[in-house]
Amino acid sequence: MVEIQGVSKSFQKTIKNNSTELKALANVNLSIRENEFVSIIGPSGCGKTTLLKIIDGLIPCDSGGISINGKHVTAPGPDRAVVFQTFALLPWRTVLANVEFSLELRRLPKTDRTDTARDYLKRVGLADFENHYPHELSGGMQQRAGLARALAVNPMILLMDEPFGSVDAQTRQLLQEELLELWQRERKTVIFITHSMDEAVYLSDRVVVMTPRPGKVAEVLDVPLPRPRLAEEVRRDPKFVDLTNYIWDSLKKAMDNPH
Amino acid sequence: MNSRLNANVLSILSLAILWEVAGRTLDSELIPPLSQISAAWWRLLVSGKLLSNLTMSLATLIAGFFLAVLFGVVIGLLMGRFRAVEHFLDLYVNALMSAPTTAFVPVLILWFGLGVESRIAVVFLFAVFVIIINTMTGVKQVDSVFVEMARSFGAKEKEIFFKIILPAAMPAIMAGVRLGMGRAVKGMVTAEMLLTLTGIGAMIMQYGSAFATDSLFAVILTILIIAMITMKLVQWLDQRLTGWKVEIAIE
Repeated sequence: MVEIQGVSKSFQKTIKNNSTELKALANVNLSIRENEFVSIIGPSGCGKTTLLKIIDGLIPCDSGGISINGKHVTAPGPDRAVVFQTFALLPWRTVLANVEFSLELRRLPKTDRTDTARDYLKRVGLADFENHYPHELSGGMQQRAGLARALAVNPMILLMDEPFGSVDAQTRQLLQEELLELWQRERKTVIFITHSMDEAVYLSDRVVVMTPRPGKVAEVLDVPLPRPRLAEEVRRDPKFVDLTNYIWDSLKKAMDNPH
Repeated sequence: MNSRLNANVLSILSLAILWEVAGRTLDSELIPPLSQISAAWWRLLVSGKLLSNLTMSLATLIAGFFLAVLFGVVIGLLMGRFRAVEHFLDLYVNALMSAPTTAFVPVLILWFGLGVESRIAVVFLFAVFVIIINTMTGVKQVDSVFVEMARSFGAKEKEIFFKIILPAAMPAIMAGVRLGMGRAVKGMVTAEMLLTLTGIGAMIMQYGSAFATDSLFAVILTILIIAMITMKLVQWLDQRLTGWKVEIAIE
């Protein structure tokens, strides 16, 4: 469904009139199935976020391309929505108005907007906080609002850029469970960027391990754990432990000899 | 808030008492006691002289300040949003921002004559640059992740501008407007003293040269009160437009 074919991307980095080319991605190939939960894991600076932005159509790639159901991606589209690492909630809007924001851009009538936004706030457990401003909420609650904003436009593909990277460990685990529940109910394709092995294995159908810069796919691993997954049981499962250890080794190998 | 108000009242009362005592003990023409100043102020008020001059001055102030906000915000937004506009204009804006605006008064007289147009131009020049610079800085400091977020949800340039850039830059814009208001009052008095003797600027010059110190201080106090009221007005507007920001500051 999502085809990533030979995607490469370089950036020009200019320091004191000295322009150097920085290769972020080198020939990334990956295909993602419908309703699949895929995590992309890799060392910092391996171009994970760049890849996500290219899939979203926010930035163009130098060569190769993305196609979704056979259609070439050139710009952001209604079939995709992003959940940001820093939440990206607008501080001058209430939680409700933040969720409405994505619907406003899709030209929904005002009453439909409010109804839909309220519905999704309820699904992420924020029904009682719709009139709060983002800074009045904890990090975990802010990210729930970010998730509601993305889900509200009913995208086929949810692009998540280290969404739980800036919340505490306890909240993180809670959010992971909630995300799985939502995903099971809504059936969406999720592309999930993370650098937590544990998180990648717990959530995903497949884990993509990337090499350091310039990032390319080092390995794609199937996660053979049955669903629904209960956090406490899964983490004790020997298959879970083996797989996280394997990914750790794979990441280390990729770091030691990147090319 | 309440304790602040109390402190303000206490501060004003202490100064008033100190002034009265100093005025009476020194018994000098240079520092008339506050009671004498108040009497002079009342005289000016009743004669209608104060109000008619004040109306004229305020009309100049409002006209010049309004134009400064209009131009300042528009130019600041363009400079902040478009690199080319910034590079084209920042030289002049920075130069004029730090140059003493008073130096341009003779040029303005040549251009606009000695009428009200010149006075409005002085108020405008005093206020406009600080508004431009604050607006531009505000626009440039908008977190790029907001723009990215809007774009990823399909926002067009116009929507990015009105739904992201403008509200995000609003606290900085209002800071510029607040600073501009202070400068506009300075510009108003300067224009009335240097250009044509009109309005309350004229009253200052007139009473100053006539050693009518009680009336002089009455006018100066009036200017202080006007400056304070206009500042409060701008602050009130700021609160209404960017209340979300103030809440963060209080936390």
